[in-house]
This record gives sequence, C-alpha cells and structure tokens, in this order.
Amino acid sequence: MYYRVIRRDIKKSKTITLAITLFVTAASLLVALAAILIVNLTGAIDTLMIQSKTPHLTQMHAGEVDHVRLSAFAEQNKAVEDFQVVEFLNVDGGLFDFSNGSLSGSVKDNGLSVQSEKFDFLLDLNGEVITVSEGEIYVPLTYLQSGIARVGGTVAVAGKTFIIAGPLRDSQMQPLLSSSKRFLVNRNDFETLKQFGRLEYLIEFRLHDLADLGAFQAAYTKAGLESNGPTLTYPLFRMFNALSDGLMIAVILMISVLVIVIAFLCIRFTLLARIEDDYREIGVMKALGLRVADIKKIYLTKYLALAAAGSLFGYGLSFVFRDTLLANIRLYMGESENRSLAMLLGILGVFLVFLTIGIYVNSVLGRFRNISPAQAIRFGISAGKAGGAKHLCLNKNRLISTNVFLGIKDVLARRGLYVTMLTVMVLAVFIIVVPKNLHNTISSKSFITYMGVGESDFRIDIQQTDHIAAKAQEIATAMEKDTAFSRFVVLTTKTFQVKTEEGPEELIKVELGDPSIFPLTYIQGHAPTSENEIALSVLNSKELGKKTGDVLTLIINNNPVLFTICGIYSDVTHGGKSAKAVFSAPSGEIMWSVITAELSDPTLVAGKVAEYTGRFPYAKVSDIDEFILQTYGGTIRAIGKAVYIATGIALTITLLITLLFMRMLVAKDRYSIAVMKAFGFTNSDIRIQYAARSIFILALGLLIGTLLAQTLGGMLAGAVIASFGAASFKLIINPVSVYLLCPLIMTVVVLAATIIGTQHTGRITISENIKE
Amino acid sequence: MENLISSKNIIKSFGMGIEKRNILDGISVDIHQGEFVSVMGPSGSGKSTLLYALSGMDHVDSGQVTFQGEDLSALKETRLADLRRTKMGFIFQQPTLLRNLSILDNIMLPTLRDGRKNIAALTKKAKMLMEKTGVAGLENRDITQASGGQLQRVGICRALMGDPKIIFGDEPTGALNSTAAVEIMSLLAEIHRTGVTILLVTHDIKVAAKTARVLFILDGRIAGEKLPGVYNETQDNLKAREEELTTWLAGMHF
Repeated sequence: MYYRVIRRDIKKSKTITLAITLFVTAASLLVALAAILIVNLTGAIDTLMIQSKTPHLTQMHAGEVDHVRLSAFAEQNKAVEDFQVVEFLNVDGGLFDFSNGSLSGSVKDNGLSVQSEKFDFLLDLNGEVITVSEGEIYVPLTYLQSGIARVGGTVAVAGKTFIIAGPLRDSQMQPLLSSSKRFLVNRNDFETLKQFGRLEYLIEFRLHDLADLGAFQAAYTKAGLESNGPTLTYPLFRMFNALSDGLMIAVILMISVLVIVIAFLCIRFTLLARIEDDYREIGVMKALGLRVADIKKIYLTKYLALAAAGSLFGYGLSFVFRDTLLANIRLYMGESENRSLAMLLGILGVFLVFLTIGIYVNSVLGRFRNISPAQAIRFGISAGKAGGAKHLCLNKNRLISTNVFLGIKDVLARRGLYVTMLTVMVLAVFIIVVPKNLHNTISSKSFITYMGVGESDFRIDIQQTDHIAAKAQEIATAMEKDTAFSRFVVLTTKTFQVKTEEGPEELIKVELGDPSIFPLTYIQGHAPTSENEIALSVLNSKELGKKTGDVLTLIINNNPVLFTICGIYSDVTHGGKSAKAVFSAPSGEIMWSVITAELSDPTLVAGKVAEYTGRFPYAKVSDIDEFILQTYGGTIRAIGKAVYIATGIALTITLLITLLFMRMLVAKDRYSIAVMKAFGFTNSDIRIQYAARSIFILALGLLIGTLLAQTLGGMLAGAVIASFGAASFKLIINPVSVYLLCPLIMTVVVLAATIIGTQHTGRITISENIKE
Repeated sequence: MENLISSKNIIKSFGMGIEKRNILDGISVDIHQGEFVSVMGPSGSGKSTLLYALSGMDHVDSGQVTFQGEDLSALKETRLADLRRTKMGFIFQQPTLLRNLSILDNIMLPTLRDGRKNIAALTKKAKMLMEKTGVAGLENRDITQASGGQLQRVGICRALMGDPKIIFGDEPTGALNSTAAVEIMSLLAEIHRTGVTILLVTHDIKVAAKTARVLFILDGRIAGEKLPGVYNETQDNLKAREEELTTWLAGMHF
C-alpha cells in the first residue's frame, strides 16, 4: 500500500518531489565530499610530511652560524634524533628571470637550496627525493601553477640559465602562509651563485618524540643559540599545509548545512500543505481507530524514500566530483593512504543526512496528534486558521493599491506559511553580504591596522641581513632629504627576555619607535607614550596572561625593567605575537627594521618603490597595496572567489525557492484566485498580488538579513580574523554593494521567479475551481 | 425587450477521445434585459456549464455568446474581467468569500480594485446594502463568525456593489435551509424589481416557480421552455405555479 501511496503522491507533485530529492542529493554530495576531503587531506599531509621527513623544529637564521656549538647542543640533548643546517640562498626576486617575467613583484623570499642529506627532502610529484643535475632547476609548484614557469622552459637566476626540470613539493615552504619559497639546484650551481644572494640558514632538528617539542624549544632558546629569524615547528607546518584546503572543506560543510536547512524548509512547506489537504482524511483515519504512528508511517515512508534516493544519488555523484576537488591536494601533497576510511566516512556522512531528514519529517508529523477527528470531519479545516492581521482593513486603506494591499495582508495573515520563504531570503542576503563585507574589509587599505601597522603608502623591510640598524639609518637619512615623503617612521624590532613568575623566561619581540606617526587602532588602552609603557598584541597578551594596567618585566642590559601595559592591539603578522614600546635600548638583538612612510602625492608611490629598490638593494621596498596583496593576495582572491560563488549560490537558491514556493502557493490558492477572477480581477491583478507578497517578504528578508550580516556575520568574520591574531574586528561595509546592488539584484531575481512561478494563474479557470 | 445576452449554437465538451462528451450541445438562447430566468435540469445536464458560458467565465468550444452585442469569445481576459466587475454580479451555492478578509472587505473587494478614491462612498453603499439584506452589524466580523444564510446575503451584497446589469446565481439557495432559501428568493425578487436581470441555475421547483421564465436542459440542449410570467407575492398563488411547473417537468421526464 505504501508503494501505491508514494507513487500517487509523487505523480501529483512532481516538481516539489524533484526539488526535495535534488536538495537531499546536493546535501549528501557535499557532506560526502567534505568527509572524503577531510580524510584525504589529513592523510595526504601525513604522506607528504613522512616522505619529506619534515623537521620537528626549524630555526631560521640570518648571519654567522657556529656549527660546532650547534652540533654539541644537538648531541647533548637527548631528545634530538637528527640535526642538520640547511643553506638557503636568498636571491632577490628580480634576479629570477623567466621567459615571461621575473619575480621582482614577489614579497616572498625566493631562494636556492640544495637537496638535504638527512631529512627535510624536496620531493617530485611521485613523492620521490629529487636528485638534481647541473644546469637543472626544480621550481616551487605554485610558480608552475601560476603560469610564470613551465616544465622544459628556462629561467635565468642572476644571469645563469637553468632548464626547469620539474615542480617540487616542499612540506615546509609551499603553503601560502610561508614567507619563503625554495628552488632546488645542484650543489655546484649553488656554489657558483652564492655571491648573488644572502646566505641564510635553516637549523633543523628531528626529535625522537614529538611530545618533547615544547621542552626542546625552551632548551634551544635558553641555550642562546642562533635565532635571528622565525622559529617554526612541526605542528605549525601541518597547520599551514592544511589551511587552504581546510578552508575549502569548511566552506563546503557550511554550504551543505545551508542546503540541508533549505531541504528542511521545502519538506516542511509541502508536508504542511499536504496535511492541510488531507485534513479530513486524517480525521477519518483517526476516527476509524488507526494509530497516529500508522498514519505517520504513510507520510514518513514517502519522505524516507525520497531521502534514500537523494542520499544514494548524492553519494554516487561524490565519486564524479571528488577527483576534481582532490586534484589540488594530490598535486601539492600526494596520495592519501586512508582510501577506505574516506569511503566509510563518506557513507557515514550521507547516512547522517538521511537520518536527520527522517527525524525532521517525523517531528513535523508530530502535529497529527493535535488533529481532532470530530473537527476534521465536520469542517475539513483546522480550527482558528483564518484571520490574523485583522487590524488591516481593506475598507480603511486609502494609500496603496488594492492588489498590493491584498498581497501584504495575505503575508501577515498567513505568517506561518511565509516563514519558509522569509528564512530563505534572510539566509540568501546573509550569505551574499557576509563574504562581501569580509572581502571589502580585507581588501581595504585600513585592514593594515590589523597587521599591527598604521595606515601608510609605502613600506621598507630590512631583515635577515647584517648591520640592520646602520642600514635603516642610511635609508632614513635619504628619506629625510626626500621631499616626496610627508612623514615616515623607523620601527626596529628587537627581542627581549620576559621575566615570568613561573617557568622559563620567554623571548618577546618588541617594536621600538614612535607609534604616534602612523597611529594604530587599539582594542584596549592606547599607544605607549612614555618609556615605561608597553603595548601588547592580542596573542601576546593572551599568552602572557596580561591585560592593560598589568606590569610586565623585561630583561634589558641584564637588569629587570618594569613596564606598564598601556594597550592591546591586533596583529596578524609574524604569527600575531608582537609588542610596541618607545624606550631606547642599546642592547637586545635586532630582528628587523621596518620603515613606513606616506607620500605627499600618493601617485608617486610606484616611482619611489623603483627608486629605493635600486638605491638600497638589501631592503625590500613595497607599495603598501602591493604588500597587502602579496601577503594576503591568496586570501583576498579566495574570499573574492567565495563572494562570487556565495552570491551565485544565494541567487540560485532564491530563484529556485521563490519559484517553487509561488507554484505551490498558486496551487494552494486556486479557490481564492477563482473567486477573485469571478468578481472581475484580471490575471495581472492576481500576479501583482503575488509580486507584492514576494517583494514584501524580500523587503523583510533584506532588512533582517542585512542586520544579521552586520551583527552575527560581523562576529563570524571576526572569529575568522581573530584566529589569525586580531581581536576586535570592524567590518568595513561598501554601502553601494550592500545597500543598493544586493537589494536590487535580489529584487530582480525574486520578481523574475514570481513572474515565472505565477504564470499558471492564467490557466486557473473559474468554473473548475468554484463550481460546486 | 432588448437582448442582454445571446448565445448561438454553443458547444462545450469535456473529456478526451472516446470519453469526450458534449456537455453543451448547440445551445442557442437569448436573455433579455430585465428578465428573471431560471435554468433547470437533472444533474450533469449542463445547467451550470451554461451559466459559466453565458457569463464569459468559461470559454466555449464553438458557437458564439454576445453580451450587449460584444462577442465574449473574442474579448481579451482583461476586458472580460472588466465586464464581470462592472456589469455582472455572481452568487454561488457556497458563499465564496475570502477567509482573510472581514465581511465588509469581502463585499467591497470587487469595487475597490479601481474605486479606492471613492472609498467613503463605497463604504456607505456597502453598509446600505447590508442594512437592506439584513446583515447590518456584521461588517467587521470574520467569515467564520456568520451563518450560511447570512453569508449568502453577504454574497448578494457583493454582487450588487457594482450596480450590475445582470446577476448570475448558481444554485444560490442550494446550501440553505428552507426558511433562509425563501428569504433569499424574496431578496432576489426585490432586486429584480429594480430592473436587474437575473439568471439562476436551480434544481428546486420552489425557486424556479418564482421566476418568470424557466429553461429546461437535458443532455446539453434546451429541451423545453416555460413562461409562468413575473411572480407577484400578493396576487399569485405560489402553490399553483409550483404544481403547474411540476406537471410540465414530469412531461419532460424530470
């Protein structure tokens, strides 16, 4: 019997059945893909890191290295399994000359390396350790993907021509967030080119047990060994490698949740309409003594059948799409070894979707309990359904056209019915506006303030070189004389030891210089103004457990000096851990210097970048826009893409749901439409009424959606940014796109869907729908 | 008398293939200005279909229906809607009122489509009609808060709002008890006396006996026509009219 009921039901409502099945299919597809991707990503990262034997700790260092002292430390420390010092020849981007351009615009530190002997191997696409011949070069995958390099082509490095033998996988430096990129050459070529770059060292350790990493890191710091450069650890490499594909998985999961919610809304609407239609029959069945569970089964069976079909279909489809989505992971990291686990988790995910739908349908059907058989049989309708919005009287309306009034009144009178559509519109607005706001914020110039730097036009980085202070001074002197600059400041970052009450002393990077020239927005407190004040970045304040007003002790010239914490600011650069102060200290090791400047005529920036790059080859000079783009370019582009995708998805969903909803509504309202037509309302009158309903709901949706996007969406976006080290995060809204374009495009879509969806009103004949 | 509606050889069929059946099978009839006509016939004979065809609510397959000389089948949907709103009034077996609107709003709905500027005058008129039909005081009630007889009167008020030339009634007393039915028929007679043409479909001899002209339909054709003349409550013997009609119908095997 169930089979017959289902067949009859599906035949009666083909469109909606198809729509629900499609939504379940999409949800299952996405969940299955997300599961497969998660397993493959973690598996592939493991494969990559095992194959390349990624170091457990890498200390980057610019300057001399005392090999004997380092070896002695490694030998004495029981945790160390293996140790090596890898050379990295930092070559200016401009010296990499590909046939279709150089890397001069790159803010990454591009450099040459030779293959390691013990671990930290650079791999080819088969996961094999590359052996490179003279005259050959292996290029980071990203440059082959961006199209600047091609296998078989050539690249001249500082005038020496190499044949590009292939791409390389680099478990340490290939993630987008890594600031350096390694090219692999033969030892002889490396030696030849040594004079054209600055030699830096990667001091690398493998430990017997990764659990000892924290203690080992502390021991290394305490030993006062080479540390002029960032320290990176195995978990950090893992996270960096997971980040970009991890974000994709997060987005897929978010979309699948959205699709499931929409499927729920569709199911709810059709189910409620169906229950209303069958009200009398349900009453009769109850009167005849059928149990609620028996009646529920009839309806539940249909939806379970649809959910099962959708789930299976979705899982099947995931096999078609997974290779495309896995391509990036496979290319950068190789195969995962957990194939069967991926399949299993995919099935589990799909089953979860199926189960959720079953539980949801069952809960909606719970209202069968409230149907009184007597009332259902006598009246055929549920009690107390009419009415609502009683205060809105047509005979008192002088302002708006009768059709528009009737449309709005219907929405207010049957609020429950329209909740579905409103929810979809709120969601659509939300998923258009939030990524848009995020994109706008990240790509705006003032986003730099979250990077712990004031707003400026121009930036010079002097790092990983010797005599940093003198070099910075040299540039500053030149800038002093240059009238093109309206203001500039030299900020020097030094490391100091922090005295903590318990445990080992930690190192903290403090940026010294006048913070008032390019002021920063502080989350709490203010910039340091006197010598005994210090401001901390969010992550540092968290890690040290300090807030404004607290006291921090630094060791300066071997003496403890007390500082009052005057402010907390966001910083998403350098791992988010920094501090700012104005005291002068001859001691403390200089990490780097940054000169930020503003030009009196901002159009001169490009010229000045070229000029200063030429004059001071040891410094990295960049236009601030370009600096942001290079640092966050990938993220900005990814979010930009997400904006398009989210907008596309949101508009498609709005179109589909409005269309479906209008068709269902017209079918449900046949009687009222026939009555109105009998009394002289034209088809276009009726369609205007429906358009008024959709526009009214859209207006509400836009209002709620935009408000939510501003509040909840702001918090969400804030959480994303906060994970990088910015605490308070203010969305920068582009009013034209958020308050004008988004509503406009939504209106066009909703109106189009309404017009198409209500086409059938013309076919509703009075005689068939009104005749007794 | 002037012809208000005229149909020539109208055919309307339902079903497909061998199940196809002419529900109206070549009906030609004239309804004159000021007439009070009823259409009788067994179930499925095509009475209601004829009413829908003559009012332009349903298209015919062939033949022609003219209203005041305008060919309804040649008219656009908007013109047909205009005609229904400004020249015709309808009363159905069920009250066909919209659930979302109050009783007063339901009455005013057709005229408010383009008469929003005269809202005060229209409200006054609606209240006057409600007074006349005995439903005054129900203005702001919900349609679920009135009896079937009351709702049918409300339907009559709505039909009269646009000052129609003709009122079509599809079994207007069919869902009412006998007292309410008598009252509704008196009301219709009163409306007829003001010059409005009335065309009713009914299977009730008591209703038909109060009309001036009775058409009998069988298998989609007009099988007979009787002209009892305008009924005068004070002078005419209703019982005698009913008996005469019964005898006539019996002769047609009804």
